[in-house]
Amino acid sequence: MHFAFPPRKSSHPPPYAVRSSRSSPLLRRQRLRNWGLLATLAVFTIFLLSRYSGTGGSEKIPSGTPPCVIVTIIDQEAPSAFIRAIKDNRNDYAARHGYGTFFPNVTDYNLDDAPFTWSKVPAMRHAMTLFPYSTYFFYLTSFALIMNPSISIEAHIMDRERLETTMLVEKPVVPPDSIIKTFPNIRGDKIDFVLTQDREGLSQDSFVIRRGEWAKYFLDAWFDPLYRSYNFQKAERHALEHIVQWHGTILAKLALVPQRILNSYLRDPSGGTEGVYAEGDFVVNFFGCDLAGDRNCEEEMTPMITRWREIRDRRGY
Amino acid sequence: MSLSRSPSPQPSGGWHSPGLASSQYDGIASSASPSPRHFESDYMNGGAGSSGSNVTWASAQARSANVKHSQSQGFFRHFRRLSSSLPRFSHQSSTHYAEKEKLGRGRLNADNGGNLRNSVRMIGRLVRRSRLRSALILFFLLFLAVFYATPVRALYRRTSFLGGGSRFVVILAANLGGGVMEWKGPREWAIERDSVKNKKKYVKRWGYELEIVDMSIKKKYTHEWRESWEKVDTIRNAMRKYPHAEWFWWLDLNTFIMEPTYSLQSHIFDSLSSTTYRDINLYNPLNITHPLNTSYLDPISLSPTGDDNPSSINLIVPQDCSGFNLGSFFVRRSVWSDRIMDLWWDPVMYEQKHMEWEHKEQDSLEYLYVNQPWVRPHVAFIPQRKVNSFPPGACGDAGDDPKIHYQEQDRDFLVNMAGCEWGRDCWGEMYSYRQLSNRLNRNWWQKFKDGVSETWDGLWKKDEEITEEDVGSDQDKLS
Repeated sequence: MHFAFPPRKSSHPPPYAVRSSRSSPLLRRQRLRNWGLLATLAVFTIFLLSRYSGTGGSEKIPSGTPPCVIVTIIDQEAPSAFIRAIKDNRNDYAARHGYGTFFPNVTDYNLDDAPFTWSKVPAMRHAMTLFPYSTYFFYLTSFALIMNPSISIEAHIMDRERLETTMLVEKPVVPPDSIIKTFPNIRGDKIDFVLTQDREGLSQDSFVIRRGEWAKYFLDAWFDPLYRSYNFQKAERHALEHIVQWHGTILAKLALVPQRILNSYLRDPSGGTEGVYAEGDFVVNFFGCDLAGDRNCEEEMTPMITRWREIRDRRGY
Repeated sequence: MSLSRSPSPQPSGGWHSPGLASSQYDGIASSASPSPRHFESDYMNGGAGSSGSNVTWASAQARSANVKHSQSQGFFRHFRRLSSSLPRFSHQSSTHYAEKEKLGRGRLNADNGGNLRNSVRMIGRLVRRSRLRSALILFFLLFLAVFYATPVRALYRRTSFLGGGSRFVVILAANLGGGVMEWKGPREWAIERDSVKNKKKYVKRWGYELEIVDMSIKKKYTHEWRESWEKVDTIRNAMRKYPHAEWFWWLDLNTFIMEPTYSLQSHIFDSLSSTTYRDINLYNPLNITHPLNTSYLDPISLSPTGDDNPSSINLIVPQDCSGFNLGSFFVRRSVWSDRIMDLWWDPVMYEQKHMEWEHKEQDSLEYLYVNQPWVRPHVAFIPQRKVNSFPPGACGDAGDDPKIHYQEQDRDFLVNMAGCEWGRDCWGEMYSYRQLSNRLNRNWWQKFKDGVSETWDGLWKKDEEITEEDVGSDQDKLS
């Protein structure tokens, strides 16, 4: 209550003042109650926190880990000069950017009578075991050359913003008219698998995979024995097209990019023009040179190997 | 007109300041959230900021509301009359006392004469206060008695950060094979009713979610080659429906939870690393080579126990005598389970294997486990009898496999009458297990009653085939 004037003091003061501590058992009790409440609250908080004491933290990447590893499968039956040139080409490029290289043999993996072209799948899995902390794994067929060594994989291909501008969305996965199309709204950093498409379908001569649980899943699923034994007309190529079209968890991590970003063809046997190599492109791929009987990959590649050596020496690195 | 706080409706009619009603409406309409009623009343006012003296729609409405209000208050008025007729011992007796207290606050009043009177008064005050206190305690006890067994406890158990019940979803596959294929007889209905009731009771007790799915063979599937592979679709739908749940427990219809007092948390999930095992060599009816001997794989894929961290377990499967059993299994919501559910059915695999895979998803999962290394580190196995005990007749007629068959003295959690539809009596099994479960979970009062009646019966007649007869008569009623 508020009065206009404070209430008057009693005109009969008490004979003695009471000890303040005795006057307030209620206050004391209140304080006790407050403490009790506080203690209960604290216990409850600790109880709650104890349920959420999970372990967190990201993995530690040791220094000196190459950010990217180049994987090329070598057929030991090829001429040794050719093998040397291919390895030189990769090693030179890797040395410029601090990348790692991995050259397994075609016969290294048990494929259960499936065509040798399948070996790229276990080879990628193997590379991820050998380089357990590297981020990107770049597979390049042995019938291709890196022609522009100044381009880095992180910036040129896998960079988030770059990828968001280059990736082809709403594109039929298998040309020309597959009803399964690439997703329209994927963020660049959610992409784990970058590859290109030629006129016939998904090209697996040159692709980049980001290491992680998804990569294991994808490679193991691709390498499934039932796919290998199924007699897909084009082996692992059709197997890949199959899993991409039937399994959304794979399609959701895939980005198609224009062919010339990492897979220019020297000449396209199917007559396409948009993927044909021009000077300055990252990679030249001698696609088809190993398939038709009258072509010889080593012969076809010799002039480009010479050209690559010129580029390498001209830049004067 | 701007108001510092929102005007509150007065029980005596209309708004706080009736003269300003229309401008208040304007103020409300222009501010935060004009509700349609405001707009309407404004409209009925003529919209012209009419003067407060008019009989407006709003005031008329308020008046009629007042009438209704007072009518509805009748009960409480009655209540008030009741309470006013009760003896009051604080107010009336202490008119002068209250004044006195104001003056000599916190002090013992000396001027009121003797100490005796003071202490008497103090005792009276204490008694009054303690009565209040005891009333409070009594009320609290009442509260506990009324609410502890149901709503409050249920709320606690449900809440994700307390009991965590809402993190679990039980998916029950009902109406198996019904629909297009066959009509259900009374026994089938009874089985379904019992099974569903059992699960409903269980999830209610622990605050879990129950998703009963209709597994009848739908028209949509009958002409499709993927007939009756809907397990994955069903789990996916449940995951969509309960976006905050973490674990999904698939249960076949012919299952019975024998021990509803076991919570999933205490039974399995609080100690996932000890209740489950990842090294399949511990019990390996399929003789799967484990770990893999493919040299190029990463260490975790090659380890027999994955990364040994219980948080990487995404699928918990029991194994019966012939391999994985998907009659009762757990899936965790995760990217991993998205992937396995995506790959579980694949047309190329199906085309090559559908003749061999007569157990459909179960065989397909075994295949994936064997052949795709990424699967293994995330699959854990659970001893069959923890979540999926078999009755005799499944996996051997004797029913004495200590790894597989239900043991009453161990109080196994769940019985799965797997395969009872092939030559066994599903309803009979369901009935006897239900009776057993009820008997095992009696409370002391029921035990006492049963004890009395049993001794009574024992005194009068000697034959002990009551239960058998009971089953028989119940079955007769059904068929």
